[in-house]
Amino acid sequence: MLGTIIQQTVNALTIGSIYALIALGYTMVYGVLRMINFAHGEMFMLGAYAAFLGLSIFIGDIGGAGAFALTAIFFGAVIAVGLVGVGIERIAYKPLRNSTRLAPMLSSLGVSLSLVTGIQILAGPQPVGFPSFFPATRLDVLGGTVTLVQIGILIAAFVLMFGLYMLVNRSRAGIIVRAVSESRPTAQLLGINVNLAISLVFFSGPLLGAAGGILYASYYGIMSPSMGAVIGLKAFTAAILGGIGSIPGAMLGSFILAFVEVAGTALLPIVSGGILGTEYRDVLSFTILILVLLVRPAGILGTPVSEESMVYKREF
Amino acid sequence: MKFIVSLSFGVSLIAAPSFAKDVTIGLAGPLSGPQAYFGSTWHNGFKLYIDKLNAAGGVNGTTVKIDQEDDKADPREGTLVAQKFCDNEDVVIGLVNFNSGVAQSTLPIYEDCTLPTMTFGSNPALTQQGYKYMVRPVANDFAGALLPAEYALQKLGAKSAIVVNDKQVFGQGISEIFGKNFTAGGGKLLDTLSVAPTDVDFTAVLAQIKTKNPDVIYLGAVMPQLALFAKQMHEQGVKATLLVPDGGYTPDYISQAGHANVQGSLVAVQAPPMDASPAIADFAKQYKEKFGSEAGPYSIYGYVQGQILEAVLKNAKGLTRADMNTGLHNVKVDTAIGHLEFDDVGELKVAPSYLYKVDGDKFTLIGQK
Repeated sequence: MLGTIIQQTVNALTIGSIYALIALGYTMVYGVLRMINFAHGEMFMLGAYAAFLGLSIFIGDIGGAGAFALTAIFFGAVIAVGLVGVGIERIAYKPLRNSTRLAPMLSSLGVSLSLVTGIQILAGPQPVGFPSFFPATRLDVLGGTVTLVQIGILIAAFVLMFGLYMLVNRSRAGIIVRAVSESRPTAQLLGINVNLAISLVFFSGPLLGAAGGILYASYYGIMSPSMGAVIGLKAFTAAILGGIGSIPGAMLGSFILAFVEVAGTALLPIVSGGILGTEYRDVLSFTILILVLLVRPAGILGTPVSEESMVYKREF
Repeated sequence: MKFIVSLSFGVSLIAAPSFAKDVTIGLAGPLSGPQAYFGSTWHNGFKLYIDKLNAAGGVNGTTVKIDQEDDKADPREGTLVAQKFCDNEDVVIGLVNFNSGVAQSTLPIYEDCTLPTMTFGSNPALTQQGYKYMVRPVANDFAGALLPAEYALQKLGAKSAIVVNDKQVFGQGISEIFGKNFTAGGGKLLDTLSVAPTDVDFTAVLAQIKTKNPDVIYLGAVMPQLALFAKQMHEQGVKATLLVPDGGYTPDYISQAGHANVQGSLVAVQAPPMDASPAIADFAKQYKEKFGSEAGPYSIYGYVQGQILEAVLKNAKGLTRADMNTGLHNVKVDTAIGHLEFDDVGELKVAPSYLYKVDGDKFTLIGQK
């Protein structure tokens, strides 16, 4: 029993940390631009494809790469996707920044569809096997089974999230980003380089998303052009649950969603006496989302609706 | 509607005089997406036979044309293709829908426009709905799920099983039949679990399964979920033998799940091994020469459907859809996989099915019926 609890906890933490890496991208973009970046799920997918491309170009024998080469490829791939993110913002969102709020969102939907279709044409629509970045060793922890892949994902995700925390809260660049997210017009009036802050957000968000994509593909051993769709929606949900715009909220929401999903799978059939099967997992997690939003419309850690965001609301 | 049908029927009678020199066969199956491998290799088997047939001057002077369409294993696409075939009067037979879920939606359309089909979807319910214009040249899931259940009970000595399915027409249907066969044979069904068809994470379900410690797990789903499940099952430390339906009969199953994670897993499929008989070995050789790759799991069925078509054309009185339908239902033909004929509802009278075990990088035949 203890073994099962440990195993399920590690399962939930693994999924939760992947959700969190993606959710951070949604929440940061919302924080500074008040826009939902629908193309963010595709950054996640691009991360896996970029790493796979790196592996096949620089190593050739995929699966036989050493730890140093893998780390180099990991960072190479996520930085490349980060730059893609900055480029997308410059081309597709920046010209629309002062138009209606819906315009950049529609533009991001377009970017999302073009990226998925582009990768489908270039790399083929079939799922492709992905080599694990971590050794596939199984460990027995008090009767529960945990893999080194899961532990590696947890460590990598927490290091990255800690890095983001330090960047936002303990660096000069972080102050700029926070100032712009507080109020863009005021920050601009005070002489803060708003474009720099936005580019920084569009660099670090996709970077974390891409890292999530590589970890995800290592974990499940598979990648496909459409892999960003479902998980992107889940991460978006997690960001809303935690309070969109809030960085700790995105992390919290991700782990809550992951734990609810795992607990739903594990407990629903037992609690309901077999009436509700494991397939009701998503029903349960989204019901909880609705209930939370009914009580706290801004999400668990979200800021209550301010006068400024009321003005935005009226624009819809 | 009746008037239009009879009118178009009359027109097609007039439009198909005895000097007509070709017929068109509509092919629909998944040609893109995760199941593209199955659809395209199945169609290739048919093309191989038809090209030979046409090169030899056709059947009684009638040559065969092919209209190949992608249904993306998606009912919405499948119905569009079905409507297209229906509206094209040259199409006299449909070689359609690899997936039961797609066939479920398209068969009413074909029935409506009286276009006879050789349907590939294997859900048993398809032939139970009174369709008069369909035959199924492949074993249904009753056969597909009987063999693995018997093998698990008798050869593996399994006492308990857990059934997992993806809630789709095919996956749920075949896993329920497996469960029934397993209990009827004296085994104990510990639990039936469902997952969402797009799920990639089965760790939570598997950790739950682990606590029940079944001897075998039957997974009614398709690729890539089969490979994902097999991989995670191994990683979560579940020791049961995994039994999967025909979707797992592809090299992708072994490569995507990871070589070590699928050893000993059993795959039940309607396709014979490529060295089962001289006729099949000869087919495999021709296929490789023509397409430059090994024949797929269902290529042989495409080829056999070509042989069925030849027999139908040989005995047909005319080339209308109605003639083809009569021909299909009465056909008696010796094919590469044995003698085939259909019963009243269009089901094969004797339907072959096979069971393979993953052994290294290959599938080894361990049972057949």
